[in-house]
Amino acid sequence: MTSTLKGITLKGSAELVAEFFSFGINSILYQRGIYPPESFSRVTQYDMSLQLTTDDKLKNYLANVVSQLKEWLFDCTVQKLVLVITCLETNEVLERWQFDIECDKSAKEISAPREKSIKTIQDEIRSVIRQITATVTFLPLLEIACAFDLLVYTDKEQMVPDKWEESGPQIINQSEEVRLRSFTTSIHKVNSMVAYKRTDSA
Amino acid sequence: MAEGGDAEWELSKENIQPLKRGRDISVLHQALSQQQDGPSSAVCQQKQAFESELRIYNGDDPLDVWDRYVKWTEQTFPQGGKESNLPVLLERAVTQFTEEKKYHNDPRYVDLWIKFAKICSEPLEIYRYMQAQRVGGSQASFYIAWSEEYERLGNSREADKVYQEGFNNCAEPRDKLLQYHKALQARVSRQVMTTMAEKDSDEESNEPERLSLVDLKHRGKKKAIVPVNRAQAALGHNSRGLQSQGAPAPSGAKNSCFVVFDENKGPAAVTSEPKWESWAAPPPVRAKENAQKPEKWCDVKMAQKSRFGHKIVPPPLTKPTFQPYVEESDEPPRMTPCKINSAVNTVLSARKPRLEETPLKRLQEHRHLQQQQQQQETQGGKLQEKNMYCKELLFSGATEFCFEELRAERYRKKMAQETQPGQSSADPTNTETEF
Repeated sequence: MTSTLKGITLKGSAELVAEFFSFGINSILYQRGIYPPESFSRVTQYDMSLQLTTDDKLKNYLANVVSQLKEWLFDCTVQKLVLVITCLETNEVLERWQFDIECDKSAKEISAPREKSIKTIQDEIRSVIRQITATVTFLPLLEIACAFDLLVYTDKEQMVPDKWEESGPQIINQSEEVRLRSFTTSIHKVNSMVAYKRTDSA
Repeated sequence: MAEGGDAEWELSKENIQPLKRGRDISVLHQALSQQQDGPSSAVCQQKQAFESELRIYNGDDPLDVWDRYVKWTEQTFPQGGKESNLPVLLERAVTQFTEEKKYHNDPRYVDLWIKFAKICSEPLEIYRYMQAQRVGGSQASFYIAWSEEYERLGNSREADKVYQEGFNNCAEPRDKLLQYHKALQARVSRQVMTTMAEKDSDEESNEPERLSLVDLKHRGKKKAIVPVNRAQAALGHNSRGLQSQGAPAPSGAKNSCFVVFDENKGPAAVTSEPKWESWAAPPPVRAKENAQKPEKWCDVKMAQKSRFGHKIVPPPLTKPTFQPYVEESDEPPRMTPCKINSAVNTVLSARKPRLEETPLKRLQEHRHLQQQQQQQETQGGKLQEKNMYCKELLFSGATEFCFEELRAERYRKKMAQETQPGQSSADPTNTETEF
């Protein structure tokens, strides 16, 4: 029991990071009001209460993305995950949440667990999600109906899976960028950032 | 964390007021780092610069300065509050151009009005006033803000009406108005659906009954102070409503003889829910139960009861049998002579917000005053008071200026022109303004 708590393997790391994305994406969707608040239910994770969607379609979609992501994390081939929020009517990109993932590829050869307790990692994850919640202080209000999209950047040689398609980067022109906290499992490091439309260009 | 310094905004997130347009992160950082040691000289300087620009600006778009000033203030004082002086600023800005017809449908001016309305205690009044003054009548943003205010108060029917009016007045941009209207309809219908679903599940699960010794539930999003769900209020509209449609007379079914009006269900008639129109007789909008009429309470006395439950009748006031002695020759009773001039004799006390002092009232007064002045001028009569100094300039900004500040501003401008000899004679308008 204690030995599993002390160290972390590549598989465990991939699972932790995937789990973070599942909760993180749900939080963003809730915070930014992309889906109606009543379609979320509260769960306790990382010692804080988070909102998870109860919409079946969305749940399936996210589960699909996260499981695919887990594979890529395990292969250390994923570079970025981007959540894009676009205006439903005009398709204009309004917000862009970017998570840069740095993989330590040496973990694939050396299977020995790294020294970092799950507790510390979860603490770090918690502060990232807290910060995501706090971003409402400066982000512009999304007044209109919005949609979201998830983009994943992988290494070039990766095959595109069935349910995925290639896409452009969906960059916002004239954006304001704010770096958020990062966390690391010592195998995967995730840097977060949010970009939004500049205030005076609205 | 490594980027602890970057997270300054997170540490003071409670002190940042969210803005509709979002915040400039670099300005935010600057503002927060300055917060510890009070307003810095840079901020003061910039404020002063805006203030003086307000006074010496003589281009053809004075609104621009106000607009920039307001935006700058919003960004620079993230915590709002007294320091920012924003309410005063907005009020001045709005009052400044009430007579300028060319600005009445300028998006910037309408925006200022909306911001002003949002900090007032009675935004609806402001919007109505705007409508009466024809400010923003052709701006979609005006109708959107107005409608949002109604929606916030839970009156989605009025909110919808406002959009209709916007369409009637051909507000621009029409696309935006359409989009927001659609969003409103979606929200309202969703709310109706959820309340319907709630009720269905209620009906299936348990017989509605009024429990004793528990709080009464409220329905819908809006927090009602008087709980709407008293008993089986509007139970079974959808099932029984159709039957009783032809016969409004009380039938044998329990509780169907009257329908308790539920304000949260109001919008049902507006949205596309045909089967909801089966209300036998729509109750009047203002129907309120248990509402006590406002009346004077100061004369009402509680009946006092003794320990044994008997009523105690206070002894009737009787006139004293003797005549109190009154000195005839004396003048009114002496008081300590008031040495202080009574006009100045204002003891400091906490100011109570007077009802007459709402910003809207001030606005109307200002306008009234202006009209009066105009009338007097047109009648040929001279104004009784004449200021021999440029009063408007001193008071036109959000803060008061003194003569020296104005003079210094002129002087600086002059100096700047002299240092650029090529343009020295190019701009004679400045020196002409009388002082």
